Amino acid sequence: MHISLKKEIKQSQSGKAGIIILLVMIAAAVFAPLLSRYDPMQQSTAPLLAPSFTHWLGTNQVGQDIWSQLLYGARTSLMVGFGVGVLSLIPSILFGVSSALIGGIYDKIVMRIADAFIVIPMIMVAILVAAYIRPDLFVLVLLLAALSWQGGARMIRAQALSLKEMGHISAARTFGAGLFYIARKHIVPDLGPILLVEFIYGVKRAVFIEAGLAFLGIGDPMLVSWGTMMRDAMKFSYLNVWVWWLVPAGVALSTTIIGLTFISHAAESVLDPRLRGEVVA
Amino acid sequence: MLVTGKRNLLTYTIAFVFILALNFLLPRMMPGDPLTAIYGDEALVAMTPALKARLVARFALDQPLWRQFGAYIAALFRGDLGWSYSFNAPVLKVILGALPWTLLVVGTSLILSTILGIVLGIESGWRRGSKIDRAMLAGLMSLNGFPDFFLGLVLLVVFGVLLGIAPLSGALTPYSSLSGQALILDVLKHMALPVAALTIAHLAGGYLLTRNTMITVLKAPFMLTAKAKGLSQNVIKYRHAGRNSMLPVLTMTGISLGRVVAGALFVELVFAYPGVGQLTYQALLSRDYPVIQGVFLMMAVSVLVANFAVDLLYPKLDPRVSHAH
Repeated sequence: MHISLKKEIKQSQSGKAGIIILLVMIAAAVFAPLLSRYDPMQQSTAPLLAPSFTHWLGTNQVGQDIWSQLLYGARTSLMVGFGVGVLSLIPSILFGVSSALIGGIYDKIVMRIADAFIVIPMIMVAILVAAYIRPDLFVLVLLLAALSWQGGARMIRAQALSLKEMGHISAARTFGAGLFYIARKHIVPDLGPILLVEFIYGVKRAVFIEAGLAFLGIGDPMLVSWGTMMRDAMKFSYLNVWVWWLVPAGVALSTTIIGLTFISHAAESVLDPRLRGEVVA
Repeated sequence: MLVTGKRNLLTYTIAFVFILALNFLLPRMMPGDPLTAIYGDEALVAMTPALKARLVARFALDQPLWRQFGAYIAALFRGDLGWSYSFNAPVLKVILGALPWTLLVVGTSLILSTILGIVLGIESGWRRGSKIDRAMLAGLMSLNGFPDFFLGLVLLVVFGVLLGIAPLSGALTPYSSLSGQALILDVLKHMALPVAALTIAHLAGGYLLTRNTMITVLKAPFMLTAKAKGLSQNVIKYRHAGRNSMLPVLTMTGISLGRVVAGALFVELVFAYPGVGQLTYQALLSRDYPVIQGVFLMMAVSVLVANFAVDLLYPKLDPRVSHAH
């Protein structure tokens, strides 16, 4: 694949916008302690305050500072997102590439299992499991990664199958290269754009599901989460607190997901050249 | 991106077995008394020893795991999903009571979002590269990023709280005993916001897919033929290009159904709409595990059935597929 992924994303307006959004979110997450004076979990005796110079976005029902909750919420969201994104790539690559190279019965079994998981709505499984085990951050990442490698494995297998037929791989084979060597040297390095798209998909889904579970009240109560903020703010929707409580949390979550969508859309045009050129928005 | 594998009965069997196994194993793998995990702490406190013994016998909890699994499957085939303690009724009855509302909202949203997605996709793809196309693409991709429950909350605050033109919660005006036209109007009024939230949140999938295929189809030689024949623009756009662009969206209907159903779980909670989502939330609050399991089983299996039906129907919709075999 001789299209530069970096160039492609930079050329697309929305791709650039996506990267800027993501960088802002990462900055908010990393520098959260510098950007706010309050511990997001620390309760105070002043609940439901309106925004002021001391509390930029006011306080919530137990007197926690909403601005610092918003910043630390980015931490939770991105940690779960990136954790799942990275972790789910491992089985995706492992099963995708091995399926393509080994083929036969092994390929059939792996792909049937992957397909089976693709048709089961992942978020429902996540709700059911979370209802029982109330996962903390680490367990949640493991759970979501275990549920989200299947689509990636399929895409990677398809790409690896077409790479496998290429001249340089036949050449490597005639020189006596083993399957593992070919996978490591010739297939995985050429998966570039697919890995990025799959990674972003994984991050996006995980960010969404983390917020969703927290919204349902089955997230980790020790974590600050945009989902929890929206859930708490919803109970006070008859007051005008939604302006500085509900909306910032919802907008932060939506913007993060939109940024990721923009990046993956720009990266997809690398995968499907028919969509390139005139149609890049 | 479309994941098109040829799925067959085996795939669905694996998925079905996984769903059953998850439902069966989760409560039994939890530390402590499985009865606690199945029914929750609150329910057990109220239980008499005699009732406890009956439940142990019913789930075959005093027997090896594979026998327990047999008992579990046998119960499922009898339509016995267990007993809900918080509702004091059979789980199946509790779920069936909430299901019509969810079907109404999910069905309407799925139809609306599919049709709108296809139409917008055709129009956008037809004008690819133009200002309208770009605006639609950026706009719908952004909407796609809004989680359904946030969209729902925004609609609720704007139309319900600020403007006061939509009801804040429920599916019917309580104690109004309406009938006939007034009743239908009342139902429509209550479902408008939940349906709008779900439709907007799930519009982008069909739109992006249609637009992408449209762009590819428009380059096909038969498009040139159609133009050369002097057909009108609308005939070319909808009958020649549009029809071909619809296929991928229809294959995705099963997957979209899963997403809309999952979305409904959240949106119903926002609007206190008395469907399966609201039920799930109440069950989560009261740790009524049999209900959570029952909802999961029914929803997941319906999504599987829908996917399977679409796979079976697909060759009929696209003659090329059936001839290829």
